[in-house]
Amino acid sequence: MKKLSIVLLAALLLLTLSFTAAAQDEPHPLAGQSINMAILGIGGWVPSGLGVEMANDLFVPYAKENYGYDVTFSFAESPFESLFQRAAASLATRSNEYNIIISDSQWLGAFAEPGWIVNISDLIANGIPEMGIDPQPGFDLDVFSDVVRTTYQIYPDGSDTIWGLPQEGDVIVLYVRKDLLLDPDERAAFAARYGFEMPETFEDFEALTMDDFEKMAEFFTRPEQDLYGTVMQHVRTYDFQTMYLYPFMFSMGGDIWNPETREVWGVLNSEINAQAMEWNKRMVSYQPPGALNFGIPENVDAYTQGKTFSAFQWAAVGLSMVADPEMRENTLIVPPPGFVREDGSFHRIYSMGGQPWVINSFNTPEQMRVAVDFLNWWYLPETQLEFSRRGGNPTVAETVNDPAFVDINPWNRAYKFMIVPENARDFWHEPNYAEMLAAQQEGFTAFVSGQVTDAMNTLNWIACQQQAILFDNGRTEVAPPAECADIALQ
Amino acid sequence: MRADTTDTTTIYTTAPQGAAWRRSLARLSHALDNSRMFPALLIAPVLIFFIVWNVIPTLWMIGLSFYKYSLMLGNERFIGTANYLSLMSDDQVWAALGRTFTWVVVGVGVQTLLGLLLGYLFWGSRDMPGRRLALTLLFAPMILTPIAAGVFFRLIYEPTFGIASFLFRQIGIEVVFLNDRNLAFASVLLVDIWMWTPFMILITLAAFGSVPKAELEAAEIDRIPWLKRMRYIVLPNAKFILMLGILLRTIDSFKTLDLVYLMTQGGPGNVTDLIALLLRRKAFEAFDLGWASALGIILLLAAIAFTSIYLYILNQNRQRQQQEVI
Repeated sequence: MKKLSIVLLAALLLLTLSFTAAAQDEPHPLAGQSINMAILGIGGWVPSGLGVEMANDLFVPYAKENYGYDVTFSFAESPFESLFQRAAASLATRSNEYNIIISDSQWLGAFAEPGWIVNISDLIANGIPEMGIDPQPGFDLDVFSDVVRTTYQIYPDGSDTIWGLPQEGDVIVLYVRKDLLLDPDERAAFAARYGFEMPETFEDFEALTMDDFEKMAEFFTRPEQDLYGTVMQHVRTYDFQTMYLYPFMFSMGGDIWNPETREVWGVLNSEINAQAMEWNKRMVSYQPPGALNFGIPENVDAYTQGKTFSAFQWAAVGLSMVADPEMRENTLIVPPPGFVREDGSFHRIYSMGGQPWVINSFNTPEQMRVAVDFLNWWYLPETQLEFSRRGGNPTVAETVNDPAFVDINPWNRAYKFMIVPENARDFWHEPNYAEMLAAQQEGFTAFVSGQVTDAMNTLNWIACQQQAILFDNGRTEVAPPAECADIALQ
Repeated sequence: MRADTTDTTTIYTTAPQGAAWRRSLARLSHALDNSRMFPALLIAPVLIFFIVWNVIPTLWMIGLSFYKYSLMLGNERFIGTANYLSLMSDDQVWAALGRTFTWVVVGVGVQTLLGLLLGYLFWGSRDMPGRRLALTLLFAPMILTPIAAGVFFRLIYEPTFGIASFLFRQIGIEVVFLNDRNLAFASVLLVDIWMWTPFMILITLAAFGSVPKAELEAAEIDRIPWLKRMRYIVLPNAKFILMLGILLRTIDSFKTLDLVYLMTQGGPGNVTDLIALLLRRKAFEAFDLGWASALGIILLLAAIAFTSIYLYILNQNRQRQQQEVI
């Protein structure tokens, strides 16, 4: 009897072990299949390209080894200014042409409101049961700072609903030529002319004000030597002028709307914002000819060709800004200058760049599962570190807080310094984002180009336009005021 | 032998069937020839294509223009003529229409003048060596897509390394073509003129080629001065084709989008913002399909107005010719 019991126990044990083993070896639902995925991203934008490059280089073998399926990633790309239209037009037809989209942060509302992209909060809590996808707690990321979460993940503003996952973090940083900055003769000449020393180190630049920087820009503006003090971006295309004007407005104490009531009138058209526009326009005089038509590539060209002493440029473009080893050695990448407000306080609030991943709601179950697998892989520490090594800007706390992180790329220290709520800020994530942006790009570029000369009237006109857009689309109960009927961009 | 037999049998047995088939076909052909349906059948494919791709979308657009419909928000609701009233009182629309009017009048005007001048020179130099090659080269800009021409000229105008900027710099003038509010419109329009003047040359050559030789020879024999010859013989005879060319260019110029979009996107500010760019922005950036449809209908009516002028001139011309014959 005892023998029988032992035999039965052994049999039971074997049975349990075999079941456990079977459960552990349960093949991935897509094992043996081949799936084609398409990622839509920004054309010519290094971080977007890196995402797809890493998907093909690293995730494809990873998926084969761990999940047993074959996957290929194709990259559909459009420039910044036409990517939104391409994505929206495709999603509006409920197409799964693009399975994962590298969206711009401000598009979250436009994509989320009609239900075109997957609600990540739902995915975290419930998975997608109808597709057999389990809850994904791994997507509840521990990101480096709250501004990462509010910029790339959340819609509506102030809620906890996650719609996107950060692909590339980005902020404006300042690229400075060391050969000019550290040249003893230049430093002495500058000190003699302006009565103070130019900053020299990263820490010095942390305390630099825009007033003082303007003097540096003026000092190095030497058209006869084909050298200019700095370079920004003022082109009307997409959001370029906006992104380079907002730091003046935000840092000087201006705002662009009330996110709760969605009032633009009375907030955007403030005296402080008018002053910010004047200052931003004044900075054009320290930039190379044609700067009013400069976007990202022109900015890169101006700096890398040695035409400017410094450049206000995205950290994401670091790879292009210091592609040349000599340029890499000769460039100091630091936080951009701050602004001293009337009350004497010092503020540095620059525009957030960067993009989140969003998942197409109309994916087939197979595509959805691969998208989930891919994004889970993307946030593995080793993947994030590799992304940084290849020139990307990760946002996951573990990676950014790694002591080695700041030394991986020359811009990483400035990037880490800037991508915090005190130093960087995003703007509306409204469904009417594109329309609101088009109105202010028209107004801002009309002013900076000199087509119109009254900053306050320009702000009034933009505020009227944006208030009308929000009101007409039922996004606010605040109608544009009656005086808008008499305000024209002139 | 067996095979031959088989072949013979085959031929023998199929021949009457083939004949019957041919007879049926002939009967059908005869019936169709005499049927009123035959012309309708012939134009049916074109008609179906036209209905599917032109009529239905146009009707759809007309319907949409009475709705508030955002592709983003999906808040579709009937609002009657509100979109039309809105765009009638919209400063942006009138400003863009004003710029488009200037674009068309100056652009087509210069193209026509240059086209007439160069066309006349080519018309009068039939024996010039290399004329064909010169004409081919001259027509090249017209063959380019506006996108290619736009990219090409953006590089030429580029302030730091563009050849045009470089040449001006050599004579001591710093010119920034596309982002100077005083120069941007003219700079883009110049590209349009460069692209479409060859078309007017072509039209001029066709128009001058239609002048009766007898009249020209008579003028030659009578030693009529060339200015009078142009005024009383060439231009009256060429008028119809020239008008056709001008009207085609006017309609096309009114719709200009791609070239300006690529070169300036309507900027700086809004100095190059033409009506088609505004329409594109409303339809494909704001996705305000109702408003954009209303504007589309207005532009369609404008195009129909241009076409009506053309048809009116065409009829006048026919009547004049008929009177001359009588």
